[in-house]
Amino acid sequence: MPKTLHQPSGPAAIRSKGLNKPGRGLLFYLYRDRYLYLFLIPAMSYFFLFKFVTLYGELIAFKDFRLLDGVWGSPWVGLKHFHTLFGSSDFWNVLRNTLLLNLYNLVFAFPAPILLALLLNELRVNWFKRAVQNMLYLPFFISWVVLAGIIVSLLSPSTGVVNAALRLFGIDPVYFMTSTLWWPVVFIVSTIWQSAGWGTIIYMAAISSIDPGLYEAAKIDGATKLRQIWHITLPGIRGTIGVLLVLQMGKMMDVGFEHIFNLQNAAVFSVSDVISTFVYRTGLQNAQYSLATAVGLFQALIGLILVLTVNKIVKKLGEGGLW
Amino acid sequence: MVNRLKSMPLYLFLALCAFITVFPILNILAMSLSSSRAIISGEVVLWPVEITVQAYKQLFIDGQLLIALKNTVIITAVGTVLQMIATTLAAYTLSKRRLKGRQIFTFMVMFSMLFGTGLIPLFLLVKQLHLINTFWAIWLPGLVSAYNLFVMKSFFEGLPAELEESATIDGATDLTVFFKLTLPLSKPILAAISLFYAVALWNTYSNALYFISKSQLLPVTVKLYQMLQTPIDSLLAGGDSSQYIQPEGLKAAAIIITVLPILCVYPFLQKHFIKGVLLGSVKG
Repeated sequence: MPKTLHQPSGPAAIRSKGLNKPGRGLLFYLYRDRYLYLFLIPAMSYFFLFKFVTLYGELIAFKDFRLLDGVWGSPWVGLKHFHTLFGSSDFWNVLRNTLLLNLYNLVFAFPAPILLALLLNELRVNWFKRAVQNMLYLPFFISWVVLAGIIVSLLSPSTGVVNAALRLFGIDPVYFMTSTLWWPVVFIVSTIWQSAGWGTIIYMAAISSIDPGLYEAAKIDGATKLRQIWHITLPGIRGTIGVLLVLQMGKMMDVGFEHIFNLQNAAVFSVSDVISTFVYRTGLQNAQYSLATAVGLFQALIGLILVLTVNKIVKKLGEGGLW
Repeated sequence: MVNRLKSMPLYLFLALCAFITVFPILNILAMSLSSSRAIISGEVVLWPVEITVQAYKQLFIDGQLLIALKNTVIITAVGTVLQMIATTLAAYTLSKRRLKGRQIFTFMVMFSMLFGTGLIPLFLLVKQLHLINTFWAIWLPGLVSAYNLFVMKSFFEGLPAELEESATIDGATDLTVFFKLTLPLSKPILAAISLFYAVALWNTYSNALYFISKSQLLPVTVKLYQMLQTPIDSLLAGGDSSQYIQPEGLKAAAIIITVLPILCVYPFLQKHFIKGVLLGSVKG
């Protein structure tokens, strides 16, 4: 408000044109906040181009897209590509893998940071705690290409240290990366390796905001450590767990492309091929643009419904939700 | 003392977790410095056996990984600056309650978080803009992270409003307030967010894989992927693996060269990352 004091020319000029109504004209605000609107240009151009113009491109899911004709010029074909998809066993396999790998992550990888945070919270020797945390956080900073390269090398049947250890016990080398049985295990363990340590940070912050008086009272009442965790710590971080669960559930249709792609090989496609790798292969490598777009659109829509639903459920349970 | 003894298993367990976490990286480091013979016979565990820098020498003579490393440095440096400019300016603006149309812009950003962009529409757009085989194909499609934008916006909203009021009474424009007042007060968040961006750019992978095919322009991650891929496929046949031994050492060395810069700045990175995560979670 005080701004009008020293910008006499601008608003004053507008005022003289009779725009000085109680609900001031748009021009007044555009002029008053001109720098702020300028500030928005780069980011909003980005969102407009890469998030909204791309929506227009999604139309090719309902067309037979040809590069030469462009998005608009290609002929409409209705739901043809969706019929093709739902009729192909490849698609159902990919969908099943996506949901299954996410389910494994939800069951095995999601609780890991909670458990770790509870344990880390019991450490009293500070330098030890910090050293452990430093090491646990490390893989989070490294890209999946590198992590996958390390995993493959570690599990190599001929030169890997894991199989060397197995050999000491007289066990034959296991082909972890090419076995459909072992591959999902490698996937889950690698998820935990990469993110469990880093995931503890949010939980540790939530734990540290719990009123210490509660623990004092519990101790006086003779509660054991386990009972304190069960009755004070866990309820204290319930909200945080809820929010992170929503985020995780919202990603049910989306397994990290880089994670899967780098661990994947032709021998384990049946258990490792997911929507994102399928879209990459059919779309960019085989140039079946329309079909790949249809898969992507299907994924995005289900993902949207999932986030909205889970958010509603969490709200109903009285945990605040995300918005 | 009794307490200490009782918690011994806890300390041992967590020490084991920490060791298991870093062991694979130490193992690769040891492998990259060991002789081919030692790698074949599976003797390398934590320390290099028959130390040699042959693998590194070969990679340096070959030079491809170095070019890729140079590309990654450019991608990271320029990209971080571009992303920070776009994000900071927009976050500052969206933090001003008096701004008309603020909700519309905020909704645009929210929507982009909920509805994932399809790969093919993105690819067609990038192609149409003639960004294929340029670094812009990495910078532009990831220019602003909605998450970082919101973290920064809530930080700006937390700054005392009186500062701006008194400055505007003294005749300062939005430009002056932003550059002279807000930015100097926001160093911790600027550091955290620029490091978020920088690490993501250093590890940039998918966009380079999708949009860059010229070998000379590939970032180190995709180059590494290509190097790692060749022997893996040969291993699939399950045949005699001894002939791929040399690649094992080379792969290990390439992996180490790729992560070394991250490892060098890790303590510094980690401190700021944690701050950023905590700043971000205050709101969430």
